[in-house]
Amino acid sequence: MMVKYIPVFTEDITEQIDFFTRKLGFKVADKYIIYEDAECKAIETGNAGVYFVLVERSLIPGVKNCIILNTNDCLNDYHLLKTKGVFFFNEPQYLSIGLATYFLDTCGNKFLLLEERNYSE
Amino acid sequence: MDYSKILRNNNKISIRTSCQQHSQQYNADFNIRFVLSGNESYQIGRRSLSVYPDSFLILNKGTQYSSQVDSDIPAQLFSINFDQKFLCDFQTSHTLNDDKLLAKYRYNDNSGYEFNETIYPFRGDIRYNINHLKNHLDQGTQDELLINEYLYHCLLNYFRIYNEEFVEKAEKLNFLNSSTRIEILRRLNLAKEYLYSNYNQNVSLEELGEHACLSVNHLLRTFKQAFSLTPHQFLIQLRLQRAKSLLKTTDYPVNEVVNMIGFECSSSFIRLFKTRYKTTPLKYRQYRLSA
Repeated sequence: MMVKYIPVFTEDITEQIDFFTRKLGFKVADKYIIYEDAECKAIETGNAGVYFVLVERSLIPGVKNCIILNTNDCLNDYHLLKTKGVFFFNEPQYLSIGLATYFLDTCGNKFLLLEERNYSE
Repeated sequence: MDYSKILRNNNKISIRTSCQQHSQQYNADFNIRFVLSGNESYQIGRRSLSVYPDSFLILNKGTQYSSQVDSDIPAQLFSINFDQKFLCDFQTSHTLNDDKLLAKYRYNDNSGYEFNETIYPFRGDIRYNINHLKNHLDQGTQDELLINEYLYHCLLNYFRIYNEEFVEKAEKLNFLNSSTRIEILRRLNLAKEYLYSNYNQNVSLEELGEHACLSVNHLLRTFKQAFSLTPHQFLIQLRLQRAKSLLKTTDYPVNEVVNMIGFECSSSFIRLFKTRYKTTPLKYRQYRLSA
């Protein structure tokens, strides 16, 4: 598993993009991801393959911070973590960007386990 | 590496590679058959069909068939037999949740599920899950819970594909009676599998209609309604898709690929390939090699 997307929740997406690009010097990436059914902007972090994901808070009421872990094989990691006693909210679900499921750590932090899949091939 | 694995719940998975093989079999369970490389030919009753790596075949419980591999390129075959009880448990878990995915499928205790035995596209989630499962099996995993997790998802993926390829396409046909829609789609699937199996031949509309038991006019009208393409457009799309796969996985020169997929003229192939994939066959191969 690896961290590929770092969610940043924001009240104003335009202002947030402005801050990331003009003040911090990052670039808007030529891709977007779907998080909690909402389309989100991705910002290049400077580390190859790692992106900030700007999530508009108003689109997902009540959302809490979440760590997105990318995996090459969601079903395998889901199975391994479950056998280690990790609590999952649901079984892996098929989304438009791949296969994903949520789990909690012992302190109540929320994690999204995501296997991105290319459906255009 | 060839192996056959029977799980404690009687689900069976087998993988074998061969260049020459002929066998006659009776299918004791619901069976999904994938051809990961090369191709395999089947005879089911009077129907002859060929399965390639971009498609898979399902066989219902009780079907008798013969299969044959006869090629220079070894065919790698991956087959899953689902035990009846596993299917019943799967059905129960899905008719009880919100999805209600299986509610519309016929099930009886004697013969199990009855699906349209034909060729389905092997792409998207089912392809990812089967590849993952095969990798685990190749590495010698003995964790049956993990293997069954993949089998469960494989069924889930198959039901989605069945829904898209059969139920939804039948609903697109302009007939009032639902049993007429299903019968017409069943015949259209005969035409489709004929194209899948003879994609590199000159297929005439007359022989396609004869194979599907439909008149040429009826075939043209209903094929377009169901698949949003004419049989000719469907055939061209299939040829281009298989050319792309050959360019990606083999070293055959482009001219040879053109002959293998049934095109007579290289320039029209290149033009059609470029229109569809926004790149030339050669550039596509170079890009895949560098990637």
